[in-house]
Amino acid sequence: MSRVRPWSVMTGVDRDTELALVGRLREGDADAFDAVHAAFNTRLFTFLLRLSRRRDVAEDLLEETWLRLVTHAQRLRPDTRLGPWLFTVARNLHISFQRSRLLENSMAGSLMTLWPFSAEHASPFESVAASELEARIEVALAAMPASAREVLLLVGVTGLDHSDAADVCGITPEALRQRLHRAREALSQALERSGAADCRTLRGLTCPTR
Amino acid sequence: MSDTLMQSLAELATVEPDAARAERVRRRCRARLARQAPRLSSSGSWLARVWQPMIAILGVAYLIGAIVEATRIYGLL
Repeated sequence: MSRVRPWSVMTGVDRDTELALVGRLREGDADAFDAVHAAFNTRLFTFLLRLSRRRDVAEDLLEETWLRLVTHAQRLRPDTRLGPWLFTVARNLHISFQRSRLLENSMAGSLMTLWPFSAEHASPFESVAASELEARIEVALAAMPASAREVLLLVGVTGLDHSDAADVCGITPEALRQRLHRAREALSQALERSGAADCRTLRGLTCPTR
Repeated sequence: MSDTLMQSLAELATVEPDAARAERVRRRCRARLARQAPRLSSSGSWLARVWQPMIAILGVAYLIGAIVEATRIYGLL
């Protein structure tokens, strides 16, 4: 499967620039932080917002992600890939948040419901969807199990390649491909169930060869 | 063919975080990064300035002490 847009195009950060930014971050260069912030802030926020479905939570987790970066800046490896690093931190923070929320709600006995957790909040994106199809995709994404949603967000929306997305999720690239395949099928079936005419067309197009 | 769904995903809307808060976070992170950098570099140079000569002095003192003790034992002093 080819990606729709290369990661470097989506972020405006090619590998050489990224390596230079990592080097400057390690030296405590605040201007390098500004460049990284400008490249990733909106994408990280969008990722966290689609994961959490709550703007206040996404804002908090985004702030914590950036604080983690500056706290660990001097310990970054020189070859660190900033995108996967940042999305890994953001994802882990979201998982920690979900766990703490479950515990706070005296639901410790049902930790397994993390995957999937219930869609108690409508996706904030539904109101800004530009088309009916986009709105249906947002609804379908919000209703998906978190493990399926996150791979679709990382690969489909954010544009990470399979290897980087696998690193973010802490699984092998092969496991990610399988999870992505199932997630795409689940999404296309959800779209079909939702009754979008053009999604019936999509249904026949969304079964990738393994 | 399978890119159609991924294309749709890639074209989903992005939402900007609150601009004022994003700016506050950016400034806070810049300040923290700037605070860390000089502290680490100055602490590194301080260590180099103090510990290396101190280790050298202790080593020389130990060597002199050992020589004095040896000459005393063998009755040379």
